[in-house]
Amino acid sequence: MKPQFAHAYVLNVMADDHPGIVAAITRAVSQRGGNIDACSQTVVEGYFTLIMVISFDQPVDPEALAAEIRGSTSNGFQVVARPYQPVTKPVGKTDRFVLTAFGKDKPGIVRRFSEYLAGKDINITDFFAHREGNDFLLIGQLEIPVAHDLALLQADLEQIAAELAFTVKLQHENIFVATNQLRLRR
Amino acid sequence: MLRTDEILATIQMLHAEDLDVRTVTLALNVDDCAAPSMDSLCRKLREKIIGRASRLVEVCNRIGRKYGIPIVNKRLAISPVSHLLAGHGQTAALAVAQTLDDATAACGIDLVGGFSALVQKGVTPADAGVMRSLPRVLSQTKRVCASINVASTRAGVNMDAIAAMGRIIREIAGATAGQKGFGCAKLVVFANIPEDNPFMAGAYVGEGEPEAAVNIGVSGPKVVVSALKRRMELGDRLTLGDLAEEIKITSFRVTRVGELVGREVAAELGVAFGIVDLSLAPTPKEGDSVGEILQTLGIAKIGAPGSTAAVALLTDAVKKGGAFASSSVGGMSGAFIPVSEDAALDAAVTAGHLSLEKLEAMTSVCSVGLDMIAIPGDTPAETIAAIIADEAAIGVINNKTTGVRLIPVPGAKVGDRVEFGGLFGSATVMDVRNAGASADFVNHGGRIPAPIQSLRN
Repeated sequence: MKPQFAHAYVLNVMADDHPGIVAAITRAVSQRGGNIDACSQTVVEGYFTLIMVISFDQPVDPEALAAEIRGSTSNGFQVVARPYQPVTKPVGKTDRFVLTAFGKDKPGIVRRFSEYLAGKDINITDFFAHREGNDFLLIGQLEIPVAHDLALLQADLEQIAAELAFTVKLQHENIFVATNQLRLRR
Repeated sequence: MLRTDEILATIQMLHAEDLDVRTVTLALNVDDCAAPSMDSLCRKLREKIIGRASRLVEVCNRIGRKYGIPIVNKRLAISPVSHLLAGHGQTAALAVAQTLDDATAACGIDLVGGFSALVQKGVTPADAGVMRSLPRVLSQTKRVCASINVASTRAGVNMDAIAAMGRIIREIAGATAGQKGFGCAKLVVFANIPEDNPFMAGAYVGEGEPEAAVNIGVSGPKVVVSALKRRMELGDRLTLGDLAEEIKITSFRVTRVGELVGREVAAELGVAFGIVDLSLAPTPKEGDSVGEILQTLGIAKIGAPGSTAAVALLTDAVKKGGAFASSSVGGMSGAFIPVSEDAALDAAVTAGHLSLEKLEAMTSVCSVGLDMIAIPGDTPAETIAAIIADEAAIGVINNKTTGVRLIPVPGAKVGDRVEFGGLFGSATVMDVRNAGASADFVNHGGRIPAPIQSLRN
């Protein structure tokens, strides 16, 4: 992604979820002549969070921009802004998999799985976790280097899951694409 | 990026509702194994099977693991063995069957279909050899499955062949009496046999098919039951149209699993991808039942009025969902109602709710026919033939596939319980009413002419 203007920044906002947050952020950006180049937003248990890449034709002070957004509402935004640097991803070939794990909740579950993945140089591109009653579910969308032996990874994860009394599955993402999306990938 | 609800819906199907790929069937034309000497024929056949199928199980297991989906059966279907046996005697049939048994065992394949003959218009000496060899072949081999096509919409119904099959089925039951006539479970008598069916016992490679192809059978009755129950729990007042829509959507998803796996297995084996056959094929496992789908649709006692309409709704919705999911849908694609393999159907028979006649009515709208039905061992051959003729007539007139897999259990009477084991399940021996009253009709022989294709009321 190439921002529209030469001076790009990354903006991160967290707030209690309520109507008007995006409007307040974009008003501040717009008033400075900025452009929104990319954005992702989600709400977790009533908390709103947003990450946005914005660009301007003149340099802006990121801290001043963050302060202006903080000041645009009385609801208490937490805002961080910093200069945008294009991220160069590792060049190694990867394949996309989905990890799902579920079982009785206790502290340390995400740490066990994520430490294992980090040790294998496996990148988590999307992460979801949810507690319902005493049950805990985690879903991670992963980029796994193709050099890995899938059967060994699955065996390792099943071993970790057994120690946690969890059920774990590691499946290629195409099974989810095939069963949910109209067009089948070839 | 995938959405969480999409991931969860798929996980639910795969891990809570027993969705599996029921079979990956490698379809292999073996006509080029024909040879003047039996030694040469069997050697070529063995070499071809091992050369083409030895990696099937390993590839299926690896791909199943990659997607987290069990591939339950890995099977082989061949072109009709009658082509190979032309010019050879009946002893040749057993030698070829044993070669098939041994070669597939060496590949880790559990069943091989295609010990077949197509006799809808007439019986060649080779076809007759195949038919006469069935009692010995099905009793002396473990993996070989047979099918005989006795009727088609274009040719009519070959009553001579059907009469012969009535006698042969009795002989097979007798030859496998120690296994309650189980040899008959490895034989299907068809009308309008499909050329690309991956499901046993009726899989074979028909005319016009490639030299080698991967055909996939997916199932998933429990997935459909669960989807219907979830939809109903939402509390709306649902019409049958709404429920058909739910089945259609579920069938779409299930078919996609088959296509994904099939294309990848075919690519790995270097052969064509043939078809995906979405047929709701029950197993004796609780919940994995077509009968339970009918109950969920509101048929409290399977066999009650409305059962045929419910099967029709189900079969049609499955076909529609499958057809939208894949441009390569083939085989049977619909709903199977094999009595011994479906706990709810078996229970309905045992309770007296479901009769042979009602099953026959249901087969007029399901995807196959009278399947895995235990009948008394003393049922006359002419009566077995007449049941086949009735079923063939349904297929021929309605331009659809029908099949018969009856098991006359030696020594068993109506109401006896028979255990076949594993996926074949268990059954209560059903009453065949008016046994013996069709002999004169069957003994006329000849051929019921092909039906008119217009004036179709």
